[in-house]
Amino acid sequence: MIPDHPEELQALAGEYVLGVLDPEAAREVEAAVVQNAALAAAIAFWQEQLHPLSRLAAPAEPPAGLWRRIEGALAGAAAPAPPRLWDRVATWRWSTAAAVAVAAGLALYIALAPPAPGPGYVAVLHAPQRADAAFVATGGERGLLLRAVAQERPPGDRGFELWAIPAGAKPRSLGVIPPDGRIELGHLPVPLSEGMTLAISIEPRTGSPTGQPTGPVVFVGALMAAR
Amino acid sequence: MEPNIAALSSPEELIAAVRRGSRAALKRLYELESRRLYGVALRIARRPELAADALQDAFVQVWQNAASFSAERGSAAGWLTGIVRFRALDIVRKLGREVLSDDPALGEAAHEPDMAAEIDLKLTQDALRRCLRALDVKQRHCILLAFVDGLSHAEIATRLPAPLGSVKSWVRRGLLSLRSCLEP
Repeated sequence: MIPDHPEELQALAGEYVLGVLDPEAAREVEAAVVQNAALAAAIAFWQEQLHPLSRLAAPAEPPAGLWRRIEGALAGAAAPAPPRLWDRVATWRWSTAAAVAVAAGLALYIALAPPAPGPGYVAVLHAPQRADAAFVATGGERGLLLRAVAQERPPGDRGFELWAIPAGAKPRSLGVIPPDGRIELGHLPVPLSEGMTLAISIEPRTGSPTGQPTGPVVFVGALMAAR
Repeated sequence: MEPNIAALSSPEELIAAVRRGSRAALKRLYELESRRLYGVALRIARRPELAADALQDAFVQVWQNAASFSAERGSAAGWLTGIVRFRALDIVRKLGREVLSDDPALGEAAHEPDMAAEIDLKLTQDALRRCLRALDVKQRHCILLAFVDGLSHAEIATRLPAPLGSVKSWVRRGLLSLRSCLEP
């Protein structure tokens, strides 16, 4: 819960910037910051005020090959995705079921989504073999909101992880979906765009250990411009 | 490509160029900031290979999220520090710190007297230095262990040692005192 009281809010923002919040609380702060200007300002205050403390850590020479590794990682981020599951996703995207889902998604978007500034996108995610929606995502420049619209649960001790898959690029994790089926993101690792695929895979509860989907993809949908 | 990049030395200008897609600007930013930022990551992650991973993740994030930097909200140095600290914290928390603290060869979080001396020596920001010195010693120690060494509440409690509840309250009260001192 994000407090309203200014002092509580300052303390929470400070704890967030220090990095002492537990992961759930930190995620809650990150989700709330999109819509909470006071929280955003408090975080900016602490980040700006505390960062000089990093001078207490002695500078050190990074390993010689590190810049080359970073360049390699940048190249990898833009490289075409390997032909795997994602081909199936891409093919499926254009099927009739997808068209039905998009229509349903627009209706749901109107019914569920709070008004957001800037261009809006909507995606309906469902199992590749089914037409009924499991999750609905709405988003735009300021973030993404994903909500469960059915009672889908990951098996046993596993979790659902959400992925954004820009055309011709590798999946990017948007995080593990909390048990309530709702995830709200302020900062996205990739800008949303029309036609971008959102997918949900089954992963360890703490998220994929590799940064790429390791389990089966259970729900997919493509972002469509909502207005 | 962009021959003027080498002449740029402000991280703000370089991040603006990165946002426009300049790899040369990212490389220049790395040249200017990597020693400082690697030091930040190494202090938190302890192991060179983990610190290198954190710095790599951070620079990839800078490349992809340069658009999210806003000079109105704060300095580029603060933004970069925040990214590196969070990537380093992600890595150590994912591994579990107990893996790290077993190794006697690893660096040790600084002790309070050393840190207090370092504050005087290394902090050029008068207000921050003054306000840190005005803090209760326990509150200051907790805040420094969290920010500089990346320790969680529980890790601070183990290190001091002190009850977890006391540590939480020292961090919190320290932050609130700092806040009212920095922005009365």
